[in-house]
Amino acid sequence: MRRELEQLEIPGEHEARERTWAVVAAAHAAREPSRGRRRPWVAAVALALAGAVVTAAVSSPGRALLRSLREQVGVERAAPALFRLPAGGRLLVSSDGGVWVVGRDGGRRRLGAYLSASWSPHGRYVVATRRNSLYALTPAGEERWSLARPGVRFPRWAGSDVDTRIAYLTGSRLHVVAGDGRGDVDAGGLPAAARVPPAWRQSRRFWVAYADTRGRVTVYGPQAGAVLFRTAPLDHPRVLEWSRGDRLLVVTRTALELYGAQGQRVRRIPLRGVTAAAFAPDGRSIAIARGSELLLADVARRRVRRLFAGGSALAGVAWSPDGRWLLTALPAADQWVFVRASGGRIEAVSNVSAQFRSQRFPRVEGWCCAG
Amino acid sequence: MAAAGRDERAWVRGARAGSASDLEALFRAYWPRAFRAAYLVVHDAAAAEDIAQEAFLAAVRSLDRFDRRRPFGPWLHRIVVNRAIDHARGRALRAEAELGDEHASPAPAAPLDGDLLAALAALPPEQRAVIVLRHLLGYTPGEIARLLDLPRGTVNSRLRRGLDALAETLG
Repeated sequence: MRRELEQLEIPGEHEARERTWAVVAAAHAAREPSRGRRRPWVAAVALALAGAVVTAAVSSPGRALLRSLREQVGVERAAPALFRLPAGGRLLVSSDGGVWVVGRDGGRRRLGAYLSASWSPHGRYVVATRRNSLYALTPAGEERWSLARPGVRFPRWAGSDVDTRIAYLTGSRLHVVAGDGRGDVDAGGLPAAARVPPAWRQSRRFWVAYADTRGRVTVYGPQAGAVLFRTAPLDHPRVLEWSRGDRLLVVTRTALELYGAQGQRVRRIPLRGVTAAAFAPDGRSIAIARGSELLLADVARRRVRRLFAGGSALAGVAWSPDGRWLLTALPAADQWVFVRASGGRIEAVSNVSAQFRSQRFPRVEGWCCAG
Repeated sequence: MAAAGRDERAWVRGARAGSASDLEALFRAYWPRAFRAAYLVVHDAAAAEDIAQEAFLAAVRSLDRFDRRRPFGPWLHRIVVNRAIDHARGRALRAEAELGDEHASPAPAAPLDGDLLAALAALPPEQRAVIVLRHLLGYTPGEIARLLDLPRGTVNSRLRRGLDALAETLG
């Protein structure tokens, strides 16, 4: 029996070994910070990096130095370009070079010179912004309609196959418009809306959550013009997110607050410094970017575990449509990092800015839908 | 088992001091059986890769605390097999809980290419684990009992039942 067990051919064994060795070697190389010996050095690298950016822009040796420093704050073994997504679906990305759709094979399609964007519910359309306009596009970049409004930002699209709405901010006002570009209304009351992306609840009726400048979060129904509930003032809400199970997550400066569908607060997780958070597609867990750490909070068990720790601050977090992978970013290292939600496996991609023709680090606006 | 004790201790000492080559020697010596053991318990190559990877990452995180007098292999295999059992149990539960969930569409498991594997896959994960520890990794029942924190009688009975079931399936 032993010989048969030893001689069995396991599919992909060699590739698995090399992938694992890359991850283990990276963890070994980054081992020192956990013992507290490397932190002053990391701070020095951060300072040096800030100075090196200017130099790097003008000289070849400078670019070499920047590359070297990026290696120190990023994942050591990273692919030089995005050759494929580890799971299905498509990414929507915004950069200085415009808004882009990235396919599973890593192919990039530029939709145009837009500033920000998000997917329609089934990924059939994209809503994009310029400074003073809102646009509905196909994923091929064909414009379907546009709407001129001042200071447009944070468009979010929700709904079913037959009826959709887009919420967005224009200046400090929340507006809602139908998916065909008709019926645009000012949906916010007083005071003004804060600069926080609104979030749609996934239900048959349209309910949108938005934060106001007093720190309150309001859930508003544009069909009836009614307020479902409004929270007490919170400590600087910065992220709003609904789960499929009708829980509203509000990330504040000091905690994650969870509310039920009728506005009752069901959980508070004290956690400072969270910059991004997203419910898993099944709603059971929340991925959290906090400083240089990517955390996964199990909502029911009230447990938080660390999935990944980078050498510099993370930016953003997005789930793959199948809920098996997370995408976060290390802007200081110019890297994207794909992390397996079950833990351990990591795939990193370098040179992200150049791939989207951008001076600033590109932002992932969404990871949507197979196809 | 996979490496002479002296080599193993030197690799652990070197890896602890920061030597990537010593860590690589340790990794290359222990990866094949760790991955294989996980695969034989979970019968899913991607999951086995995750499990073996997590075990090695745990080893890296624990290098400074690792007792150099203890052998590395049993310590690693204990993590691998326990996580593999947990994974196999969890997958059995999820298979029921996620029926009808549009997001639950795991890739079909790779077909097993041997009678022994198919028979092994039909056993409960706990029996698979003790058979793998005994017949792939070569531990004695007493060592398996210590690795899994089980009474020796339990290990013996799982081995017996598992082997009986294999014999019956394989004829």
